[in-house]
Amino acid sequence: MKLKALSGRRQERVAYLFILPLAAVIVLFIVVPVIGTFWTSLFKDVTYLPTEFAFLSNYKRLFTDSNFYQSLRFTLLFVATTIPIEMVLGMIFALILNERLRYRNALRATVLIPWAVPTIVAARTWELIYNYGYGLANYILALLHVSGDPVNWLGSPVSAFFALVLADVWKTTPFVAIILLAGLQTIPEEIYEQARVDGTNLFQRFFKITLPMLRPVVAVALIFRSIDTIRILDLIYVVTDGGPGGSTTSLSLYGYKYFNEGDFGYGSAIAVVLFILAFLLSVSYLRIGGFSRDLG
Amino acid sequence: MKEEATKKTLLVLGIIFMLVFCIAPFVWMITVSLSRNPDFLSGGVDFGATLANYVDVLTIKSLHFLEYLRNSLAVSGIVAAACAIVAALSAYAVSRLEFRGRLVLSLAVLAFSMFPQISLIGYLYKLMRTAGLINTYVALVFPYIAWTIPLGFWILLSYMMQIPKDLDDAALADGAGRFLIFRRIILPVAAPGLLSAVLLVFIAAFNEFLFALMLTTDQSARTIPVGIALFEGLHGQIPWGYIMAASTIASLPLVILAVFFQKYVIQDVTRGALKG
Repeated sequence: MKLKALSGRRQERVAYLFILPLAAVIVLFIVVPVIGTFWTSLFKDVTYLPTEFAFLSNYKRLFTDSNFYQSLRFTLLFVATTIPIEMVLGMIFALILNERLRYRNALRATVLIPWAVPTIVAARTWELIYNYGYGLANYILALLHVSGDPVNWLGSPVSAFFALVLADVWKTTPFVAIILLAGLQTIPEEIYEQARVDGTNLFQRFFKITLPMLRPVVAVALIFRSIDTIRILDLIYVVTDGGPGGSTTSLSLYGYKYFNEGDFGYGSAIAVVLFILAFLLSVSYLRIGGFSRDLG
Repeated sequence: MKEEATKKTLLVLGIIFMLVFCIAPFVWMITVSLSRNPDFLSGGVDFGATLANYVDVLTIKSLHFLEYLRNSLAVSGIVAAACAIVAALSAYAVSRLEFRGRLVLSLAVLAFSMFPQISLIGYLYKLMRTAGLINTYVALVFPYIAWTIPLGFWILLSYMMQIPKDLDDAALADGAGRFLIFRRIILPVAAPGLLSAVLLVFIAAFNEFLFALMLTTDQSARTIPVGIALFEGLHGQIPWGYIMAASTIASLPLVILAVFFQKYVIQDVTRGALKG
């Protein structure tokens, strides 16, 4: 008994040694910076000006800043628009990829292309697709005779919003499809066989069997994607740079603009708001994911 | 049968849509990169097939593309290697050793991966500026390791959880120390997991944008994504031919890797999110 306790304590010491590098790098480059951001948000901290403690004045400024509300609204609306589209499209792709088809592996590889392309590359490609004079989007419209005049995609708030939605959906749907595919593969074929014998049709089987059984996986994919989308920056930085008129400025991009101008206090306050939103999503993710169960 | 026919029609339509959707922008990127005139879609303009964009991007010194490429490969390579080692050490401890805080640590690591980068960058920028490290590899490498470690950790953890603990026990009985067991027994067995972690971390580091945007200032440390985002022509216009050629060079290796290792990528991406 005593021997076991001793070896337990020794094991613990060894374990901490193994974990030390990970803990060090995470504390120094993630935990401390986040605390630093919270701390800085309490200061008037602008490059070349004296730093002064300002308590909550940066947050008071947020409340009256209509641009902040605009970027908060844009960010939430963007998440609320892209995620459902990604989920539906991802589900369709996953269902196709789960079929026993002759070229299944080739199809799966093809769907990975948008996932593998770097986001910035995808962003520049879509920027060119939306080009007013010679982009692919207007060319296709003209080809289909949908509209006589070319559309200035990135010129109006509404069309710029949907232009970004489409670009983001393109880049991220493969990820959703892969996750859902993994879920589909865990549903035993016999259940479908039985349901077929019972005389259900294709759609009944999808809504009565597939969807309910996939619910936990859908939930994980949903929250995973929401957390990723709520902090979006790079795609928007390239395609619209927040325009026109700041209408597509995400919270991350809004915070970046202040950091870039050297206003660290206000930029940090914006970052703190986004941090809290993402944190709330993460907590629900950890609950739904059931990770503690796996580790026993 | 009617239902079979419905299903087949839906499937064919779905496949066509899926293929066009996924491939079209990628093909468009390559097409423009091979044209002398990026505006070839507007009436009366010749396509002008050429490799000049590639030659220019790779040879015109003032575009700095090769330097961006070198920086990206160096930074991502260092990060992938370091991250895999650090992640493997901690995954080993969590998968086989009993210690207080085991569960909390694993969940915390997962939670850290969900922090918005913007909530770190202000502090990191000031830190690197104070340390005089702005525009160096060091300024990118350490934040990148911290940023990608959750990915490596969870991939390796799910691999190591599947390795029987009997292996450790047998070696312990023979008097081997924990580190020896890790290095000589578990690491070789977990080699496929290690490779996956290296691959996915490399891709993540290669794609990172915000840190590189703020922590580098010119070609001595600037990476490909920032280079491509800020690409400016020699004469003021947006040089689409160059940008698309650079984009193709930057993404083709990743696309080929993903297509080639399709099975493993799908498995590992799933591991990252669903934990095996």
